Amino acid sequence: MQLLSSGFVILWVICFALYYLVPEKWQWMVLAVASCLFYVIGTGGFPAGLLLTGAGAYACGIYLKRSLLSQGQALASCADKEKKKTVKQGFERRRKRVQILYFVFSLGILLFTKYITVMPLGVSFYTLTAIGYVVDVGREQCEAQDNFLKFLLYLAYFPAITQGPFHRYGKLQGEFERPHVFDYERMLFGVQRFVWGAFKKLVIADRINLFVGNVFGGGGDAVPGSIYAVAVVLYMLQLYADFSGYMDMALGVSETFDIILPENFKRPYFSRSVAEFWRRWHVTLGMWFKDYVMFSFVMSSPGRKIGKNAKKRWPKLGKYATGIIGTMLVWLMTGAWHGRTVSYLLWGVYYGVIMCVSLVLEQQYVRWRERLHIKEGKFYALFCMARTWVIVFLADVLIRSESLSQAGEIYRSLLMDFRLREGIFGVTSYGLSKYGFLLLFAACLLWFAVSVLEEQGKDVRRVLAARPMLVRWGCYYGVVLLLIITGIYGGSYDTAAFLYQSF
Amino acid sequence: MEEKVLEILEEYCEEALDYTGENMMEEGVIDSFTVINIVSELEDVFDIEVDAKYVVAENFRNKEAIIDLVKRLLDE
Repeated sequence: MQLLSSGFVILWVICFALYYLVPEKWQWMVLAVASCLFYVIGTGGFPAGLLLTGAGAYACGIYLKRSLLSQGQALASCADKEKKKTVKQGFERRRKRVQILYFVFSLGILLFTKYITVMPLGVSFYTLTAIGYVVDVGREQCEAQDNFLKFLLYLAYFPAITQGPFHRYGKLQGEFERPHVFDYERMLFGVQRFVWGAFKKLVIADRINLFVGNVFGGGGDAVPGSIYAVAVVLYMLQLYADFSGYMDMALGVSETFDIILPENFKRPYFSRSVAEFWRRWHVTLGMWFKDYVMFSFVMSSPGRKIGKNAKKRWPKLGKYATGIIGTMLVWLMTGAWHGRTVSYLLWGVYYGVIMCVSLVLEQQYVRWRERLHIKEGKFYALFCMARTWVIVFLADVLIRSESLSQAGEIYRSLLMDFRLREGIFGVTSYGLSKYGFLLLFAACLLWFAVSVLEEQGKDVRRVLAARPMLVRWGCYYGVVLLLIITGIYGGSYDTAAFLYQSF
Repeated sequence: MEEKVLEILEEYCEEALDYTGENMMEEGVIDSFTVINIVSELEDVFDIEVDAKYVVAENFRNKEAIIDLVKRLLDE
């Protein structure tokens, strides 16, 4: 079941009505049943992968909870400091073994289903979420859940299960547990966000796809570099509109239930560096890798050993060793998580190397800037943004190309076969007419204006709500009408297929 | 102890000294690379071991939180 389908809207409406009709202590059950229906209808079969991953994480959580309790009791009965340390280490070792066993088990299911059989709905998302839960319980950052159904709801909460955002048990469980009272304004805001997400998906992302799909899948004709340049820039926008559109829909649906999910996008194309870009793009995945992979590695015994040895060997640069290895590890895993081709691994290596080089040379950059008398003003900020765009542009060629050889061909065309004139006159012959481009431009302009307001810290929905009724409803109807009239529906293109779903 | 922590912060992330907010990591004042360097330096200077469970945004939300973390680890 897709978020952009009549089936989903019916499920949402029924769930919404029941949610506020039942006693508050049963509200979570309504969401659990809706999530179950969403998943079972969506996959059309028995959710074996989800249940196995969930049951494993649940059992692991219970074990960790009991082990922590026993550890507390054992430590309370110990007077000697050294003995306490030994007892604690013993418990920690056993917990670590159980956690590692679970990681192997759940990642095994993920790899088996993702690379060998047909990928189940949301497998990447619920696997990482379950692993995060097990780590958090082990780190005593949250208490394990005793109720299996409540735990399954956390894992399979229907607005988030297909593409995220990745939530943390400690925060989301609190949202499920507290009572929720119907609020008209909140409902309206949630629906508005859902519609805005649908607008980004149907009017912008799917329109761009008409052009990008034709350029990249066009067959043997030699496409000028200038057309590839337009296609890659548009693909950058498509990916953003598609994924952030989905997030708006998911967060909007959740908002109507008064369940606040974490933001996943913070206007990444305003970033002045690649590091900042990745702090704003798919925020929750970045946080997941940082917390559970990078810091876990750096603070582990092998990580510490590498760090100490490197410091001894290279007093000046050695301090960067663990950070560099951790960063590369994260980016290789991010690449592998996104796709199963060599292109994605190269994409990961590309970002990893850029991150490491820029972090190691950070102080050097400051010195160069001072020597060149470059002042941090508006122009410098624009230059930095443009530089970020170029770096992302080059990376996106890799992941959008149908093959590595096509990526190579595109880089070659961009450098040696640009044919600007041919590009200008031929741009409308790749599936998107002149009016299509004009409409796309207008929609992007509206999106840009909203983004600028958000960048200034304003909530556009609240800004609109404070306007006179005529203006307010004029805007609401305007967006809905644009969505209905200019959205890309049906035909050969599957409007409901979100790009990130395949990750 | 506090002075030493501030010295380390000054060396690795001067901005952290002037920061008055509540989430340095999320606001990009301090990146994960810098966190790793600071943790490594804290471990060397104070002869403590900072487990991964302590390396969370909450404990690095501002300079006071870092000082609190070191105090807690020294007391352990």
